[in-house]
Amino acid sequence: MSKFIIIGERIHCISPVIREAMNSMDPGPILKRAKQQLDAGADYLDVNIGPAESNGETLMKWAVQLLQSEFDNVPLSLDTANRKAIEAGISVYNRSKGKPIVNSADAGDRIENIDLAAANDAIAIALCSKAGIPADNDERMMYCQELLERGMTLGMSEEDLWFDPLFLVIKGMQDKQNDVLEAIRMFTEMGLRTTGGLSNVSNGMPKTVRPIIDSAMIAMAMANGLSSAIINPCDRRMIETIKSCDIIKDNCLYADSFLEI
Amino acid sequence: MPLTKTSQKFNASINAFTIGTGDKAVTMGGENVLPFYTFDAPIENAPKIGAEISDLGMDKNVPGIRDYYAGAEDFTELARRASAIPGVDFIAFALDAADPNGEDRSVEECVEECKQVAEGTDLPIVIIGSKGIEKNETLFDKVADALSGKNVLLMSAREENYKTIAASAGLAYSQKIGAESAVDINLAKQLNVIISQMGVKPQSIAMNVGAASAGYGFEYVVSTMERVKMAALQQNDNMLQMPIVTPVADEVWNVKEAVVSEEDIPEWGPQEERGIQMEVVTASACLASGSNAVILRHPASIAAVSKMIRELI
Repeated sequence: MSKFIIIGERIHCISPVIREAMNSMDPGPILKRAKQQLDAGADYLDVNIGPAESNGETLMKWAVQLLQSEFDNVPLSLDTANRKAIEAGISVYNRSKGKPIVNSADAGDRIENIDLAAANDAIAIALCSKAGIPADNDERMMYCQELLERGMTLGMSEEDLWFDPLFLVIKGMQDKQNDVLEAIRMFTEMGLRTTGGLSNVSNGMPKTVRPIIDSAMIAMAMANGLSSAIINPCDRRMIETIKSCDIIKDNCLYADSFLEI
Repeated sequence: MPLTKTSQKFNASINAFTIGTGDKAVTMGGENVLPFYTFDAPIENAPKIGAEISDLGMDKNVPGIRDYYAGAEDFTELARRASAIPGVDFIAFALDAADPNGEDRSVEECVEECKQVAEGTDLPIVIIGSKGIEKNETLFDKVADALSGKNVLLMSAREENYKTIAASAGLAYSQKIGAESAVDINLAKQLNVIISQMGVKPQSIAMNVGAASAGYGFEYVVSTMERVKMAALQQNDNMLQMPIVTPVADEVWNVKEAVVSEEDIPEWGPQEERGIQMEVVTASACLASGSNAVILRHPASIAAVSKMIRELI
Protein backbone atom coordinates (compact mmCIF):
# COMPACT_ATOMS: atom_id res chain seq x y z
CA MET A 1 0.00 0.00 0.00
CA SER A 2 1.03 3.57 -0.44
CA LYS A 3 1.83 5.95 2.36
CA PHE A 4 -0.88 7.59 4.40
CA ILE A 5 -1.84 10.97 2.98
CA ILE A 6 -1.92 13.86 5.40
CA ILE A 7 -4.15 16.78 4.47
CA GLY A 8 -3.23 19.79 6.61
CA GLU A 9 -6.32 21.52 7.97
CA ARG A 10 -4.85 24.74 9.33
CA ILE A 11 -5.67 27.12 6.50
CA HIS A 12 -9.22 27.55 7.68
CA CYS A 13 -11.27 30.71 7.79
CA ILE A 14 -12.54 29.76 11.22
CA SER A 15 -9.18 30.92 12.55
CA PRO A 16 -9.33 34.69 13.11
CA VAL A 17 -5.82 35.21 11.74
CA ILE A 18 -6.60 33.35 8.54
CA ARG A 19 -10.02 34.94 8.17
CA GLU A 20 -8.46 38.37 8.41
CA ALA A 21 -5.73 37.40 5.93
CA MET A 22 -8.36 36.13 3.49
CA ASN A 23 -10.44 39.29 3.86
CA SER A 24 -7.51 41.52 3.13
CA MET A 25 -5.74 39.09 0.78
CA ASP A 26 -2.65 39.30 2.91
CA PRO A 27 -0.29 36.44 1.96
CA GLY A 28 1.83 36.49 5.14
CA PRO A 29 -0.25 34.52 7.65
CA ILE A 30 -1.43 32.02 5.03
CA LEU A 31 2.07 31.27 3.76
CA LYS A 32 3.32 30.98 7.32
CA ARG A 33 0.73 28.35 8.22
CA ALA A 34 1.28 26.55 4.96
CA LYS A 35 5.00 26.30 5.61
CA GLN A 36 4.51 25.09 9.18
CA GLN A 37 2.25 22.33 7.96
CA LEU A 38 4.49 21.27 5.07
CA ASP A 39 7.55 21.24 7.31
CA ALA A 40 5.62 19.09 9.76
CA GLY A 41 4.79 16.52 7.08
CA ALA A 42 1.58 17.55 5.30
CA ASP A 43 1.15 16.08 1.80
CA TYR A 44 -1.88 18.16 0.81
CA LEU A 45 -3.04 21.49 2.19
CA ASP A 46 -6.72 22.12 2.72
CA VAL A 47 -7.82 25.63 1.79
CA ASN A 48 -11.04 26.46 3.55
CA ILE A 49 -12.37 29.83 2.51
CA GLY A 50 -15.75 29.37 4.21
CA PRO A 51 -18.99 30.02 2.29
CA ALA A 52 -17.33 32.99 0.52
CA GLU A 53 -20.52 33.90 -1.29
CA SER A 54 -19.47 37.25 -2.64
CA ASN A 55 -15.83 36.90 -3.66
CA GLY A 56 -15.27 33.15 -3.54
CA GLU A 57 -13.96 32.81 -7.08
CA THR A 58 -11.41 35.57 -6.78
CA LEU A 59 -10.37 34.44 -3.32
CA MET A 60 -9.91 30.78 -4.22
CA LYS A 61 -7.92 31.61 -7.36
CA TRP A 62 -5.73 33.92 -5.34
CA ALA A 63 -5.15 31.31 -2.61
CA VAL A 64 -4.37 28.50 -5.09
CA GLN A 65 -1.88 30.59 -7.02
CA LEU A 66 -0.34 31.99 -3.88
CA LEU A 67 0.28 28.59 -2.29
CA GLN A 68 1.31 26.74 -5.44
CA SER A 69 3.75 29.40 -6.57
CA GLU A 70 5.37 29.62 -3.16
CA PHE A 71 5.52 25.88 -2.42
CA ASP A 72 6.44 24.11 -5.67
CA ASN A 73 2.88 23.36 -6.81
CA VAL A 74 1.85 21.80 -3.52
CA PRO A 75 -1.34 19.78 -4.05
CA LEU A 76 -4.42 21.34 -2.50
CA SER A 77 -7.84 20.42 -1.22
CA LEU A 78 -10.35 23.12 -2.12
CA ASP A 79 -12.81 23.48 0.69
CA THR A 80 -15.88 25.68 0.39
CA ALA A 81 -19.61 25.44 -0.05
CA ASN A 82 -19.26 27.79 -3.02
CA ARG A 83 -19.08 25.49 -6.05
CA LYS A 84 -18.08 28.24 -8.45
CA ALA A 85 -15.16 29.06 -6.19
CA ILE A 86 -13.93 25.46 -6.37
CA GLU A 87 -14.18 25.53 -10.15
CA ALA A 88 -12.35 28.82 -10.27
CA GLY A 89 -9.62 27.37 -8.04
CA ILE A 90 -9.24 24.32 -10.29
CA SER A 91 -9.03 26.54 -13.37
CA VAL A 92 -5.70 27.95 -12.14
CA TYR A 93 -4.51 24.79 -10.37
CA ASN A 94 -1.22 23.12 -11.39
CA ARG A 95 -1.57 19.34 -11.04
CA SER A 96 2.08 18.36 -11.44
CA LYS A 97 2.27 17.27 -7.78
CA GLY A 98 -1.22 15.78 -7.54
CA LYS A 99 -4.82 16.27 -8.58
CA PRO A 100 -6.91 18.85 -6.75
CA ILE A 101 -9.31 17.56 -4.12
CA VAL A 102 -12.89 18.79 -4.03
CA ASN A 103 -13.81 19.03 -0.36
CA SER A 104 -16.50 17.82 -0.24
CA ALA A 105 -19.47 16.02 -1.75
CA ASP A 106 -22.16 14.22 0.21
CA ALA A 107 -25.25 12.23 -0.63
CA GLY A 108 -27.47 15.26 0.01
CA ASP A 109 -27.29 18.86 -1.17
CA ARG A 110 -23.66 18.58 -2.13
CA ILE A 111 -23.91 15.52 -4.37
CA GLU A 112 -23.26 17.67 -7.41
CA ASN A 113 -19.74 18.18 -6.19
CA ILE A 114 -19.13 14.66 -7.50
CA ASP A 115 -20.11 15.94 -10.95
CA LEU A 116 -17.79 18.87 -10.47
CA ALA A 117 -14.88 16.58 -9.58
CA ALA A 118 -15.68 14.28 -12.51
CA ALA A 119 -15.84 17.15 -14.98
CA ASN A 120 -12.50 18.52 -13.78
CA ASP A 121 -10.54 15.28 -13.30
CA ALA A 122 -10.28 15.97 -9.59
CA ILE A 123 -10.45 13.84 -6.47
CA ALA A 124 -13.69 14.14 -4.47
CA ILE A 125 -14.05 13.63 -0.76
CA ALA A 126 -17.30 11.72 -0.56
CA LEU A 127 -18.94 12.22 2.79
CA CYS A 128 -21.24 9.30 3.59
CA SER A 129 -24.07 11.33 5.00
CA LYS A 130 -27.12 13.13 3.73
CA ALA A 131 -28.78 15.51 6.15
CA GLY A 132 -27.11 15.07 9.50
CA ILE A 133 -25.33 12.06 10.92
CA PRO A 134 -25.96 8.59 9.49
CA ALA A 135 -27.81 6.46 12.02
CA ASP A 136 -25.80 3.31 11.36
CA ASN A 137 -23.49 1.64 8.89
CA ASP A 138 -26.34 0.43 6.70
CA GLU A 139 -27.10 4.04 6.04
CA ARG A 140 -23.42 4.89 5.53
CA MET A 141 -23.00 2.09 3.01
CA MET A 142 -26.12 3.18 1.15
CA TYR A 143 -24.68 6.67 0.70
CA CYS A 144 -21.34 5.20 -0.22
CA GLN A 145 -22.95 3.17 -3.02
CA GLU A 146 -24.89 6.18 -4.21
CA LEU A 147 -21.79 8.38 -4.36
CA LEU A 148 -19.66 5.65 -5.91
CA GLU A 149 -22.19 4.91 -8.63
CA ARG A 150 -22.60 8.56 -9.46
CA GLY A 151 -18.87 9.06 -9.76
CA MET A 152 -18.29 5.90 -11.81
CA THR A 153 -21.20 6.70 -14.13
CA LEU A 154 -19.50 10.02 -14.81
CA GLY A 155 -16.29 8.21 -15.64
CA MET A 156 -14.39 8.78 -12.40
CA SER A 157 -11.85 6.23 -11.26
CA GLU A 158 -12.56 4.58 -7.89
CA GLU A 159 -9.22 5.89 -6.71
CA ASP A 160 -10.43 9.44 -7.02
CA LEU A 161 -13.31 9.03 -4.61
CA TRP A 162 -12.11 9.26 -1.03
CA PHE A 163 -14.85 8.13 1.31
CA ASP A 164 -15.35 9.95 4.56
CA PRO A 165 -17.17 7.89 7.19
CA LEU A 166 -17.84 11.08 9.18
CA PHE A 167 -15.80 11.02 12.36
CA LEU A 168 -17.99 11.73 15.36
CA VAL A 169 -17.27 13.50 18.60
CA ILE A 170 -16.59 11.12 21.47
CA LYS A 171 -18.17 13.40 24.03
CA GLY A 172 -21.77 12.66 23.23
CA MET A 173 -21.33 9.89 20.70
CA GLN A 174 -18.95 7.50 22.36
CA ASP A 175 -21.15 4.56 21.45
CA LYS A 176 -20.80 5.35 17.71
CA GLN A 177 -17.00 5.14 17.48
CA ASN A 178 -16.92 1.43 16.72
CA ASP A 179 -19.31 2.02 13.86
CA VAL A 180 -16.93 4.53 12.31
CA LEU A 181 -14.02 2.09 12.54
CA GLU A 182 -16.15 -0.66 11.07
CA ALA A 183 -17.24 1.61 8.21
CA ILE A 184 -13.59 2.33 7.40
CA ARG A 185 -12.92 -1.39 7.29
CA MET A 186 -15.88 -1.99 4.99
CA PHE A 187 -14.79 0.77 2.57
CA THR A 188 -11.26 -0.61 2.62
CA GLU A 189 -12.43 -4.13 1.92
CA MET A 190 -14.31 -2.78 -1.09
CA GLY A 191 -10.95 -1.48 -2.31
CA LEU A 192 -11.89 2.14 -1.68
CA ARG A 193 -9.79 4.95 -0.30
CA THR A 194 -10.82 6.81 2.82
CA THR A 195 -10.29 10.11 4.58
CA GLY A 196 -12.01 12.37 7.07
CA GLY A 197 -11.78 15.15 9.61
CA LEU A 198 -10.35 13.01 12.31
CA SER A 199 -9.78 15.49 15.09
CA ASN A 200 -13.53 15.90 15.40
CA VAL A 201 -13.40 12.90 17.74
CA SER A 202 -11.70 14.91 20.48
CA ASN A 203 -13.81 18.03 20.17
CA GLY A 204 -14.57 19.61 23.52
CA MET A 205 -11.85 17.71 25.36
CA PRO A 206 -9.08 19.46 27.31
CA LYS A 207 -6.14 20.62 25.20
CA THR A 208 -3.81 18.20 26.94
CA VAL A 209 -6.01 15.23 26.13
CA ARG A 210 -6.83 15.94 22.49
CA PRO A 211 -3.55 14.83 20.90
CA ILE A 212 -3.66 11.59 22.87
CA ILE A 213 -7.19 10.69 21.82
CA ASP A 214 -6.56 11.83 18.21
CA SER A 215 -3.43 9.68 18.00
CA ALA A 216 -5.18 6.63 19.40
CA MET A 217 -8.03 7.13 16.98
CA ILE A 218 -5.79 7.51 13.97
CA ALA A 219 -3.85 4.38 14.88
CA MET A 220 -7.07 2.39 15.22
CA ALA A 221 -8.48 3.90 12.04
CA MET A 222 -5.29 3.10 10.12
CA ALA A 223 -5.41 -0.44 11.42
CA ASN A 224 -8.84 -0.62 9.81
CA GLY A 225 -7.51 0.77 6.55
CA LEU A 226 -7.86 4.56 6.72
CA SER A 227 -5.70 5.89 3.89
CA SER A 228 -5.77 9.64 4.55
CA ALA A 229 -7.03 12.21 7.04
CA ILE A 230 -7.58 15.91 7.33
CA ILE A 231 -5.63 16.79 10.45
CA ASN A 232 -3.37 19.30 12.12
CA PRO A 233 0.11 18.17 11.03
CA CYS A 234 1.69 20.36 13.69
CA ASP A 235 0.39 17.91 16.30
CA ARG A 236 3.63 16.06 16.81
CA ARG A 237 2.17 13.08 18.60
CA MET A 238 -0.25 12.56 15.74
CA ILE A 239 2.46 12.75 13.08
CA GLU A 240 4.68 10.35 14.98
CA THR A 241 1.77 7.95 15.30
CA ILE A 242 0.99 8.14 11.58
CA LYS A 243 4.63 7.58 10.64
CA SER A 244 4.86 4.63 13.02
CA CYS A 245 1.65 3.12 11.65
CA ASP A 246 2.98 3.56 8.10
CA ILE A 247 6.00 1.51 9.14
CA ILE A 248 3.95 -1.21 10.82
CA LYS A 249 1.63 -1.43 7.82
CA ASP A 250 4.67 -1.64 5.50
CA ASN A 251 3.55 1.47 3.66
CA CYS A 252 7.02 2.87 4.08
CA LEU A 253 10.38 1.20 4.53
CA TYR A 254 11.83 1.47 8.03
CA ALA A 255 15.05 3.39 8.73
CA ASP A 256 16.26 4.42 12.20
CA SER A 257 15.62 8.08 11.38
CA PHE A 258 12.10 7.48 10.05
CA LEU A 259 10.55 10.07 12.37
CA GLU A 260 12.80 12.78 10.95
CA ILE A 261 11.76 12.35 7.33
CA MET B 1 -11.13 -11.92 -25.37
CA PRO B 2 -8.78 -9.16 -26.49
CA LEU B 3 -5.76 -8.54 -24.34
CA THR B 4 -5.70 -5.11 -22.75
CA LYS B 5 -2.16 -4.10 -21.98
CA THR B 6 -1.84 -2.08 -18.83
CA SER B 7 1.33 -0.13 -18.33
CA GLN B 8 3.08 -0.52 -14.99
CA LYS B 9 4.66 2.88 -15.14
CA PHE B 10 5.05 4.60 -11.79
CA ASN B 11 4.45 8.20 -10.76
CA ALA B 12 7.86 8.23 -9.11
CA SER B 13 11.26 7.78 -10.67
CA ILE B 14 14.84 6.91 -9.83
CA ASN B 15 17.05 10.00 -9.62
CA ALA B 16 19.04 10.82 -12.72
CA PHE B 17 22.64 10.71 -11.54
CA THR B 18 25.57 12.03 -13.54
CA ILE B 19 29.27 11.36 -13.12
CA GLY B 20 32.12 12.80 -15.14
CA THR B 21 32.07 15.97 -17.18
CA GLY B 22 31.63 17.13 -20.75
CA ASP B 23 30.89 14.80 -23.67
CA LYS B 24 31.88 11.67 -21.81
CA ALA B 25 29.74 12.36 -18.74
CA VAL B 26 27.50 9.43 -17.91
CA THR B 27 23.95 9.64 -16.59
CA MET B 28 22.26 6.68 -14.98
CA GLY B 29 18.83 6.32 -13.42
CA GLY B 30 15.88 8.53 -14.31
CA GLU B 31 13.54 5.65 -15.12
CA ASN B 32 9.99 5.27 -13.76
CA VAL B 33 9.68 1.55 -14.46
CA LEU B 34 11.24 -1.68 -13.20
CA PRO B 35 14.58 -2.77 -14.68
CA PHE B 36 14.37 -3.36 -18.46
CA TYR B 37 10.57 -2.83 -18.46
CA THR B 38 10.81 -0.72 -21.59
CA PHE B 39 7.38 -1.99 -22.64
CA ASP B 40 5.90 0.04 -19.77
CA ALA B 41 7.75 3.28 -20.47
CA PRO B 42 10.98 4.18 -22.25
CA ILE B 43 14.18 3.90 -20.23
CA GLU B 44 16.22 6.89 -21.27
CA ASN B 45 19.45 5.97 -19.52
CA ALA B 46 20.43 2.37 -20.13
CA PRO B 47 22.37 0.66 -17.32
CA LYS B 48 26.07 1.47 -17.37
CA ILE B 49 29.25 -0.59 -17.16
CA GLY B 50 32.42 0.36 -15.36
CA ALA B 51 35.75 -1.31 -16.07
CA GLU B 52 37.61 -2.08 -12.87
CA ILE B 53 41.35 -1.58 -12.58
CA SER B 54 43.32 -2.06 -9.38
CA ASP B 55 46.35 -0.33 -7.97
CA LEU B 56 47.70 -3.79 -7.14
CA GLY B 57 47.97 -4.37 -10.88
CA MET B 58 45.76 -6.63 -12.94
CA ASP B 59 45.14 -10.34 -12.33
CA LYS B 60 48.06 -12.33 -13.76
CA ASN B 61 46.26 -15.67 -13.48
CA VAL B 62 43.57 -14.86 -15.99
CA PRO B 63 45.08 -14.84 -19.50
CA GLY B 64 42.39 -12.61 -21.01
CA ILE B 65 42.96 -9.92 -18.41
CA ARG B 66 46.75 -10.37 -18.23
CA ASP B 67 47.18 -10.17 -21.98
CA TYR B 68 44.83 -7.26 -22.45
CA TYR B 69 46.75 -5.14 -19.98
CA ALA B 70 50.20 -6.58 -20.84
CA GLY B 71 52.89 -3.95 -20.98
CA ALA B 72 50.87 -1.30 -19.19
CA GLU B 73 53.57 0.13 -16.96
CA ASP B 74 51.66 2.79 -15.08
CA PHE B 75 48.14 3.70 -14.04
CA THR B 76 47.75 6.13 -16.89
CA GLU B 77 48.25 3.30 -19.35
CA LEU B 78 45.99 0.96 -17.35
CA ALA B 79 43.24 3.56 -17.47
CA ARG B 80 43.81 4.13 -21.19
CA ARG B 81 43.48 0.40 -21.92
CA ALA B 82 40.39 0.03 -19.74
CA SER B 83 38.75 2.99 -21.47
CA ALA B 84 39.35 1.37 -24.84
CA ILE B 85 37.30 -1.74 -24.05
CA PRO B 86 34.14 -1.54 -26.19
CA GLY B 87 31.04 -1.04 -24.03
CA VAL B 88 32.80 0.68 -21.12
CA ASP B 89 31.07 3.77 -19.76
CA PHE B 90 33.33 4.62 -16.82
CA ILE B 91 36.54 3.61 -15.10
CA ALA B 92 36.43 2.15 -11.59
CA PHE B 93 39.78 2.47 -9.91
CA ALA B 94 40.17 0.28 -6.82
CA LEU B 95 42.66 1.50 -4.22
CA ASP B 96 43.28 -2.04 -2.99
CA ALA B 97 46.89 -1.36 -2.04
CA ALA B 98 45.86 1.23 0.52
CA ASP B 99 44.47 -1.50 2.79
CA PRO B 100 46.16 -1.08 6.20
CA ASN B 101 46.13 -4.86 6.58
CA GLY B 102 47.68 -5.29 3.16
CA GLU B 103 50.29 -3.14 1.50
CA ASP B 104 49.20 -0.08 3.47
CA ARG B 105 50.25 2.23 0.68
CA SER B 106 50.32 5.86 1.77
CA VAL B 107 47.54 8.31 1.07
CA GLU B 108 49.95 10.50 -0.92
CA GLU B 109 50.88 7.61 -3.20
CA CYS B 110 47.23 6.75 -3.72
CA VAL B 111 46.41 10.33 -4.64
CA GLU B 112 49.26 10.24 -7.16
CA GLU B 113 47.85 7.02 -8.66
CA CYS B 114 44.41 8.59 -8.99
CA LYS B 115 45.90 11.54 -10.83
CA GLN B 116 47.64 9.15 -13.20
CA VAL B 117 44.37 7.37 -13.87
CA ALA B 118 42.70 10.70 -14.60
CA GLU B 119 45.40 11.44 -17.16
CA GLY B 120 44.71 8.20 -18.95
CA THR B 121 40.99 8.60 -19.48
CA ASP B 122 38.32 11.12 -20.28
CA LEU B 123 35.61 8.73 -19.10
CA PRO B 124 34.02 9.36 -15.69
CA ILE B 125 35.97 7.95 -12.77
CA VAL B 126 34.70 5.94 -9.83
CA ILE B 127 37.10 5.45 -6.94
CA ILE B 128 36.67 2.29 -4.95
CA GLY B 129 38.22 2.75 -1.51
CA SER B 130 40.38 0.33 0.39
CA LYS B 131 39.20 -2.22 2.91
CA GLY B 132 40.36 0.17 5.63
CA ILE B 133 37.17 1.96 6.61
CA GLU B 134 38.95 4.54 8.73
CA LYS B 135 41.72 5.10 6.23
CA ASN B 136 39.17 5.80 3.51
CA GLU B 137 38.18 8.96 5.37
CA THR B 138 41.53 10.66 4.73
CA LEU B 139 41.99 8.86 1.45
CA PHE B 140 38.72 10.13 -0.01
CA ASP B 141 39.31 13.61 1.34
CA LYS B 142 42.63 13.89 -0.51
CA VAL B 143 41.43 12.12 -3.64
CA ALA B 144 38.31 14.30 -3.81
CA ASP B 145 40.56 17.33 -3.63
CA ALA B 146 43.04 16.03 -6.22
CA LEU B 147 40.26 15.13 -8.69
CA SER B 148 38.35 18.29 -7.97
CA GLY B 149 36.07 19.35 -10.84
CA LYS B 150 36.01 15.87 -12.38
CA ASN B 151 32.70 14.91 -10.77
CA VAL B 152 33.90 11.52 -9.59
CA LEU B 153 31.98 8.96 -7.55
CA LEU B 154 33.63 7.84 -4.33
CA MET B 155 32.68 4.33 -3.25
CA SER B 156 31.93 4.06 -0.48
CA ALA B 157 30.64 5.88 2.53
CA ARG B 158 29.52 3.52 5.27
CA GLU B 159 27.77 3.89 8.58
CA GLU B 160 31.16 4.18 10.33
CA ASN B 161 32.71 6.87 8.15
CA TYR B 162 29.96 8.67 6.26
CA LYS B 163 30.30 11.89 8.25
CA THR B 164 33.79 12.83 7.15
CA ILE B 165 33.27 11.54 3.63
CA ALA B 166 30.01 13.44 3.16
CA ALA B 167 31.51 16.60 4.64
CA SER B 168 34.68 16.58 2.57
CA ALA B 169 34.03 14.74 -0.69
CA GLY B 170 30.33 15.56 -0.83
CA LEU B 171 30.14 19.09 0.47
CA ALA B 172 33.62 20.63 0.25
CA TYR B 173 34.57 19.15 -3.14
CA SER B 174 31.10 18.53 -4.66
CA GLN B 175 31.96 15.00 -5.71
CA LYS B 176 29.41 12.17 -5.79
CA ILE B 177 29.04 9.79 -2.85
CA GLY B 178 28.31 6.09 -2.89
CA ALA B 179 26.45 4.93 0.21
CA GLU B 180 27.43 1.37 1.03
CA SER B 181 25.46 -1.13 3.06
CA ALA B 182 25.60 -4.90 3.06
CA VAL B 183 22.25 -6.36 2.01
CA ASP B 184 20.36 -4.50 4.73
CA ILE B 185 17.45 -2.50 3.31
CA ASN B 186 16.87 -0.51 6.47
CA LEU B 187 20.49 0.53 6.69
CA ALA B 188 20.52 1.34 2.98
CA LYS B 189 17.73 3.83 3.56
CA GLN B 190 19.16 5.11 6.84
CA LEU B 191 22.49 5.94 5.18
CA ASN B 192 20.76 7.97 2.50
CA VAL B 193 18.81 9.81 5.18
CA ILE B 194 21.81 10.70 7.33
CA ILE B 195 24.02 11.63 4.39
CA SER B 196 21.23 13.88 3.09
CA GLN B 197 20.78 15.37 6.55
CA MET B 198 24.38 16.51 6.37
CA GLY B 199 23.46 18.61 3.38
CA VAL B 200 24.47 16.36 0.48
CA LYS B 201 21.76 16.49 -2.19
CA PRO B 202 19.95 13.19 -2.75
CA GLN B 203 20.84 13.62 -6.44
CA SER B 204 24.52 13.40 -5.50
CA ILE B 205 24.19 10.02 -3.84
CA ALA B 206 24.36 6.57 -5.37
CA MET B 207 23.89 3.34 -3.46
CA ASN B 208 25.87 0.16 -3.22
CA VAL B 209 23.33 -2.00 -1.43
CA GLY B 210 25.70 -4.93 -1.31
CA ALA B 211 26.64 -7.62 -3.74
CA ALA B 212 27.38 -11.31 -3.80
CA SER B 213 28.49 -13.67 -6.48
CA ALA B 214 25.72 -15.76 -8.00
CA GLY B 215 25.32 -18.81 -5.80
CA TYR B 216 26.74 -17.10 -2.73
CA GLY B 217 23.64 -15.75 -1.02
CA PHE B 218 22.67 -13.88 -4.15
CA GLU B 219 18.96 -14.25 -3.36
CA TYR B 220 19.44 -11.73 -0.52
CA VAL B 221 20.90 -9.27 -2.99
CA VAL B 222 17.90 -9.75 -5.27
CA SER B 223 15.35 -9.26 -2.52
CA THR B 224 17.18 -6.18 -1.23
CA MET B 225 17.29 -4.57 -4.65
CA GLU B 226 13.71 -5.50 -5.36
CA ARG B 227 12.48 -3.97 -2.09
CA VAL B 228 14.52 -0.83 -2.69
CA LYS B 229 13.11 -0.36 -6.20
CA MET B 230 9.53 -0.98 -5.10
CA ALA B 231 9.87 1.53 -2.26
CA ALA B 232 11.40 4.05 -4.66
CA LEU B 233 8.83 3.62 -7.42
CA GLN B 234 5.64 2.34 -5.87
CA GLN B 235 5.87 4.13 -2.52
CA ASN B 236 7.65 7.18 -3.92
CA ASP B 237 10.26 6.97 -1.18
CA ASN B 238 12.72 9.72 -2.04
CA MET B 239 15.25 8.29 0.37
CA LEU B 240 15.57 5.23 -1.85
CA GLN B 241 15.43 6.80 -5.30
CA MET B 242 19.20 6.86 -5.64
CA PRO B 243 20.54 4.67 -8.44
CA ILE B 244 22.35 1.47 -7.48
CA VAL B 245 25.97 0.88 -8.52
CA THR B 246 27.18 -2.66 -7.90
CA PRO B 247 30.84 -3.71 -7.85
CA VAL B 248 30.50 -7.19 -9.26
CA ALA B 249 34.12 -7.94 -10.22
CA ASP B 250 35.51 -8.03 -6.71
CA GLU B 251 32.87 -10.57 -5.67
CA VAL B 252 33.06 -12.99 -8.56
CA TRP B 253 36.80 -13.13 -9.13
CA ASN B 254 37.32 -14.34 -5.57
CA VAL B 255 34.95 -17.32 -5.49
CA LYS B 256 36.21 -20.82 -6.06
CA GLU B 257 34.54 -21.19 -9.45
CA ALA B 258 36.76 -18.36 -10.66
CA VAL B 259 40.00 -19.17 -8.86
CA VAL B 260 40.38 -22.96 -8.77
CA SER B 261 42.67 -24.07 -11.59
CA GLU B 262 41.74 -26.60 -14.21
CA GLU B 263 44.53 -28.91 -12.98
CA ASP B 264 42.89 -29.09 -9.56
CA ILE B 265 39.36 -29.81 -10.80
CA PRO B 266 39.58 -30.89 -14.46
CA GLU B 267 35.85 -31.66 -14.72
CA TRP B 268 35.01 -27.96 -14.20
CA GLY B 269 36.73 -27.00 -17.43
CA PRO B 270 38.89 -23.93 -18.14
CA GLN B 271 39.25 -21.54 -15.21
CA GLU B 272 39.01 -18.33 -17.21
CA GLU B 273 35.80 -19.41 -18.88
CA ARG B 274 34.24 -20.07 -15.49
CA GLY B 275 35.27 -16.69 -14.17
CA ILE B 276 33.78 -14.91 -17.15
CA GLN B 277 30.57 -16.88 -16.79
CA MET B 278 30.31 -16.02 -13.11
CA GLU B 279 30.89 -12.37 -13.89
CA VAL B 280 28.35 -12.26 -16.71
CA VAL B 281 25.70 -14.21 -14.83
CA THR B 282 26.08 -12.15 -11.66
CA ALA B 283 26.12 -8.85 -13.51
CA SER B 284 23.04 -9.63 -15.59
CA ALA B 285 21.18 -10.79 -12.50
CA CYS B 286 22.14 -7.57 -10.68
CA LEU B 287 20.94 -5.48 -13.61
CA ALA B 288 17.68 -7.40 -13.80
CA SER B 289 17.17 -6.88 -10.06
CA GLY B 290 17.82 -3.17 -10.04
CA SER B 291 21.48 -2.16 -10.46
CA ASN B 292 21.80 0.93 -12.62
CA ALA B 293 25.48 0.20 -13.14
CA VAL B 294 27.81 -2.74 -12.64
CA ILE B 295 31.57 -2.76 -12.27
CA LEU B 296 33.29 -5.58 -14.18
CA ARG B 297 36.85 -6.72 -14.82
CA HIS B 298 37.19 -9.08 -17.80
CA PRO B 299 36.95 -7.54 -21.30
CA ALA B 300 34.90 -10.55 -22.44
CA SER B 301 32.37 -10.05 -19.61
CA ILE B 302 32.09 -6.38 -20.47
CA ALA B 303 31.43 -7.28 -24.10
CA ALA B 304 28.73 -9.80 -23.17
CA VAL B 305 26.93 -7.60 -20.64
CA SER B 306 27.02 -4.53 -22.84
CA LYS B 307 25.55 -6.57 -25.68
CA MET B 308 22.77 -7.74 -23.40
CA ILE B 309 21.97 -4.17 -22.36
CA ARG B 310 21.98 -2.97 -25.97
CA GLU B 311 19.62 -5.68 -27.06
CA LEU B 312 17.18 -5.19 -24.21
CA ILE B 313 16.99 -1.40 -24.24
